[in-house]
Amino acid sequence: MTDQPLLAVRDLRTHFHTFSGTVKAVDGVSFEIGQGEVMGLVGESGGGKSVVGFSILGLIDSPGKIEAGEILLDGKNLVAASEAELRKVRGREISMVFQDPMTSLNPLHSVGRQMDEVLRLHTDLDAKARQAACVEMLESVGISRAAERLKAYPHQFSGGMRQRVVIAIALLARPRLIIADEPTTALDVTIQSQILKLMRAQIAEKGASMILITHDLAVVSEMADHITVLYCGKVVERGRTRDLINAPSHPYTRGLIDSIPDTVNRHDRLSQIPGTVPDIRNLPKGCNFRDRCPRAQALCAEVEPQLEPQHGTLSSACHFPLKPGEAA
Amino acid sequence: MTDTPMLDVRDLQMHFPIGGGFLDRLRVGAGGVRLDNPVVHAVNGVSFKIARGEIMALVGESGCGKSTVAKTIARIYTPTAGEVRIEGEDIASYGFAELLPVRARMQMIFQDPYASLNPRQRVRDIVAEPLLEQTKGADDRKDVPRRITELLAKVGLNAEHANRYPHQFSGGQRQRIGIARALSVTPGLIIADEPVSALDVSIQAQILNLMKDLRDEFGLAYLFISHDLSVVNHIADQVGVMYLGFLVEHAPRDVLFARPRHPYTRALLSAAPSIKEKRETDEIVLSGEVPSALDLPSGCCFRTRCPFAWERCARERPALQDVGDGQTVACHLIDEPERDRP
Repeated sequence: MTDQPLLAVRDLRTHFHTFSGTVKAVDGVSFEIGQGEVMGLVGESGGGKSVVGFSILGLIDSPGKIEAGEILLDGKNLVAASEAELRKVRGREISMVFQDPMTSLNPLHSVGRQMDEVLRLHTDLDAKARQAACVEMLESVGISRAAERLKAYPHQFSGGMRQRVVIAIALLARPRLIIADEPTTALDVTIQSQILKLMRAQIAEKGASMILITHDLAVVSEMADHITVLYCGKVVERGRTRDLINAPSHPYTRGLIDSIPDTVNRHDRLSQIPGTVPDIRNLPKGCNFRDRCPRAQALCAEVEPQLEPQHGTLSSACHFPLKPGEAA
Repeated sequence: MTDTPMLDVRDLQMHFPIGGGFLDRLRVGAGGVRLDNPVVHAVNGVSFKIARGEIMALVGESGCGKSTVAKTIARIYTPTAGEVRIEGEDIASYGFAELLPVRARMQMIFQDPYASLNPRQRVRDIVAEPLLEQTKGADDRKDVPRRITELLAKVGLNAEHANRYPHQFSGGQRQRIGIARALSVTPGLIIADEPVSALDVSIQAQILNLMKDLRDEFGLAYLFISHDLSVVNHIADQVGVMYLGFLVEHAPRDVLFARPRHPYTRALLSAAPSIKEKRETDEIVLSGEVPSALDLPSGCCFRTRCPFAWERCARERPALQDVGDGQTVACHLIDEPERDRP
């Protein structure tokens, strides 16, 4: 492990210029990931977590634009990189696993051809070696009779199997960073646990890092070393997984954790975060969460809180952070 | 209050023939020419009762038939066999006209709040529609506007929301509109098919709390369909676990979560992710996937994925048997507990 993080995102701002106003989907997000680390990126719909993933891979299309910030992969800024340079990075250095295994594979090409494409573009192996690598990779993600299955088309696989294929493609060129955007959300719970185990094992074996984007705190708490919580395009809290789950300092994180129906200590009523996420096109002055926050005071409407260190490994953006053991 | 359950489902079966045309079904093989009749066995004999004010949850993975059960009870489908008794009245073979009064006693809430509201209707028309179906006289209809305001208030919306269109609402608010629509005819039974799975977790908590409050206020019975065990554990009084169209285990909630007996239930419970640090180590890990409902396995439907399966499971289909505390399980392990070892 070196001093330089594998990936450093600094003050990333990705905005979408629409007719009804500018949507600041990602507005000043910073984080770092070291070699072999798994970072969970958590938040509700509209929090900007997927846009962070797309920004890293340079997949933001008009009307979206990365307005400011740096995305440093080994110190090299991807925001300033040309399309040709980005193509070398995608699939090779950083690969992506998308949410929906039904739409992220091309229905017109056999699975083998889609796997082969990655190796053809990023390695100089000959056809035979590529075929062998594909078979080996398919077997390692738990697909039996791999040589035969290479000729099959995506519709011949079930949802779980397809997601295995997508993961196999993502791992093929031995990338150093995998961005997994809700990789198990579309899957059943028993299949989900199979896929999560597989991803964990593969990452440990290959020494890769991962950004796990999900709305599911339970999944992220089982997978991630660090968690970053996004709300309205801003980081509201981050820290080591256990610290953040056990004693969050931001009221939003607390609210998210408390609204999960708990199988162990059941309460009659779930605690709920009142209201809904504000319209991201015209966010209120001050703290974005204040309208829904039980701790909000006059200051919250005036001054936007900045990320500051809290107890343990946590830092959060809140004027009135929670202490360990304190209720929201 | 009588002893008649709000909903009494007996041996419900729902099969879908997917034959297609004559030529599609024609098979020429070694044995000569024959005609295939492929049938999806979506629901294969499911029975349960829901009392007034009770919440029954059906859980299972995609394709297990839980939504088909809901839709068959709501009579969106006509069951292949079996009885659906609403307050004792068997509606399994009712026609459209006979069903209309039944719909005042039974309403449905759908999964997708974006698809289940007509985008071209205002909220007040959406909520009023079941009510207008049920009240034909002009006198009864005078009350409708007041009733809509009342209903919207019940589900946490304002009177001014009544004139808006669905696209002006968030997912959670739309689900509230769906609930108001279901409540409009004061039903005794609400069938909720994955009502919170399209919602964010903070909104999900709001809707679950609302559903519980409404149950307490109106004594509603719910049939709650979900794949999410933690949601089910929160809301349900009794839980049925389905697999490939069969009810494999059925128990009061606390019994089921404390002492699951069927290997599938145990696997489901141990596969569910949790924010708790400690995980049970004796988890059952399932390999493989659900077999096709077109071609059910012989014997026990779960044996292809069950870590305990032995030859008896392929030979003989286990029936639900009572194991005490209101828990029933369909598994041969109950007779031969010594095999319960991986």
